[in-house]
Amino acid sequence: MTRSISTGRKVLGAALFLALGAPLPAFAHAILMASTPAVNGTAEGPDVSFDLRFNSRIDHKRSRLTLTLPDRSQQVLPIAEDGPEDQLTTKAALKPGAYTLRWQVLAIDGHITRGDVPFTVGGN
Amino acid sequence: MALLIDLFGYLSVILHGLTIVAQSMALGGILFLIFLARPFADALGTVGDDILRRTRRIAGWAAVALIVCEAATIALQGAVLIGTVDLSFADVMSADFAIAGQIKILAAALLVVLAFGFPNTPRPVLAGVVLLELAAATLTTHANARLEDRVPLLIVEGLHQLGAAIWIGGIPSFIMALGRCHDGMAWRKVGKRFSQMSTVGVACILVSGATMTYLYVGDLPGFYGTAYGVMVGAKMAMFAGLLCLGAMNYLLVERLRTNPATPITRLKRFAEVEIGIGFTLFFAAASLTSVAPAIDLSTDRVTWNEIVERNTPQMPVLTSPDHAALALPALQQKLDQEAEAQKKNPPPAFVPGSGDLPPRNLDDIRWSEYNHHWAGLFVLLMGVLALANQAKLARPVTKHWPLVLLGLAVFLFLRSDPEVWPLGEEGFWESFRDVEVVQHRMFVALTVIFGLFEWRVRVGGLAKTKAALVFPIMTALGGALLLTHQHAIANVKDQLLIELTHTPLALASVALGWSRWLEIRLDPPGNKIAGWIWPACFIFIGFLLLSYREI
Ligand SMILES: [Cu+2]
Repeated sequence: MTRSISTGRKVLGAALFLALGAPLPAFAHAILMASTPAVNGTAEGPDVSFDLRFNSRIDHKRSRLTLTLPDRSQQVLPIAEDGPEDQLTTKAALKPGAYTLRWQVLAIDGHITRGDVPFTVGGN
Repeated sequence: MALLIDLFGYLSVILHGLTIVAQSMALGGILFLIFLARPFADALGTVGDDILRRTRRIAGWAAVALIVCEAATIALQGAVLIGTVDLSFADVMSADFAIAGQIKILAAALLVVLAFGFPNTPRPVLAGVVLLELAAATLTTHANARLEDRVPLLIVEGLHQLGAAIWIGGIPSFIMALGRCHDGMAWRKVGKRFSQMSTVGVACILVSGATMTYLYVGDLPGFYGTAYGVMVGAKMAMFAGLLCLGAMNYLLVERLRTNPATPITRLKRFAEVEIGIGFTLFFAAASLTSVAPAIDLSTDRVTWNEIVERNTPQMPVLTSPDHAALALPALQQKLDQEAEAQKKNPPPAFVPGSGDLPPRNLDDIRWSEYNHHWAGLFVLLMGVLALANQAKLARPVTKHWPLVLLGLAVFLFLRSDPEVWPLGEEGFWESFRDVEVVQHRMFVALTVIFGLFEWRVRVGGLAKTKAALVFPIMTALGGALLLTHQHAIANVKDQLLIELTHTPLALASVALGWSRWLEIRLDPPGNKIAGWIWPACFIFIGFLLLSYREI
């Protein structure tokens, strides 16, 4: 059983276009302006520092950074509470491999958004 | 929970739209009370008392709706946060947006109590509560999350909402008041004062809108090259339409001065359409909260050349790729084969709500383009027949134009779900277990019902009944919802290029609905003019669909 259309686009108003099969854009308000490591970038292990900068003031306490490890397991990274109001920072000890950092942020105005930063940790 | 956050994006936009509607009607009702109903109560006599009571009722019920919407907003956002970030209820309720929301609810509750229970509340007290509500509402706008220009942006956001409340939010009370009055002098009094109020409202919107456009959009490439800019453009187009209607009403009110016997039907009808387009505008405004301001997107904008290139007409694609070639079926087939080799259950190729986008290949794009092009042919045919019917050409044939919708329904039935009967392997009845198929089927059924219904209106003698209004309302609503549906993720150019074609579609659909509404509700000659507009909108939509491209 396969479905070519995601759940989010199943609401009546746009039903004609959904039925026609136009792709669904995602929602985004708070966006990532810059990050270390960069999207699809590399980092030097084992101690990796993360720094994500957004276009909005972010509620640090109510945001979350989740790291997907090369073995597909997930790990929640603690967010430093004292960083600048538009940045999220954290650290992790990582082995070489391909990772994805998923961010979910609450902007001060109440909007929740999320996105991914795929990156690789280099090493020998 | 992942599914919830996907749905959350769409739900929160719809909910936000409803919140803006409720908020502006509640505040607009109170302002109508302060500046029109109260001052004129004595001069209008018994009618004045009636208007006072009804205005309070409109404002009171709108405030009730505002409480419901705001509570639902906090609940929805709270549920997502509790489910995804491991927060307690208290943690969520002490977030900035939740505190602002609680103040909004409090102020709205105060309005409910004052509107229903205390008819003699002093006007400054009412105005104070209105300002409190506005201030709290402003704290949940983009402006409050800005790093730069935060204070000026907060001020103009407040002004913007105040303007919308005075003008659009006051119109329901205005129509009510016009309906209560029975002589030219009363109409003139009410019309004149509301004209003055809406002028102030329009001024607030213009000043704040221009400031926000400058600070959020920045420049011309930001305007056409980003989702935010495109949505601002749609808002401007609707605002211009509203201004035209408002200006014509202003002239009519002026005519009442010289001739109190001037009929005011047009005043009421235009005001009805102003409510409709105004509320559509609110939904467009709500969807702006789900896209990043253009000024924050310095890279990955769509360029003018790309827009021109994408929209240069090409021959429509009228042949379709085989559905086995689509990305998802192909991937699933591969997974099925692998699983069979390992004697395991095959994993699904795509899990809705996982946060990943379903895979798409070139054939998916062709499939989608083909669907749009054929739908375009149906809509174009419908428009041409409707236009011919309007021109009194071959009426025995052309009056049946709504039946074309049945053809469209059959087409959608065949094409929406390629995996199921009759194109795919899955049987007709067993496919009903899939929520998505059920929803597509419902849409097909709706198209059939809608087509037969409008056909009955045209040929079955329902033309003079309220049933005739179903078609304009449904098309206008469809357009409004289409406007809220499209939100390109900040950096995906392709989706923005698609959105660029959907915005005019949505606007044309809104224009179609409301011009048909005017054709039904206006007296000659206005209804004749309106009668030519909506078939033209159909034809325009048909051409847009025919030239739709995703690559
Ligand atoms: Cu925001």
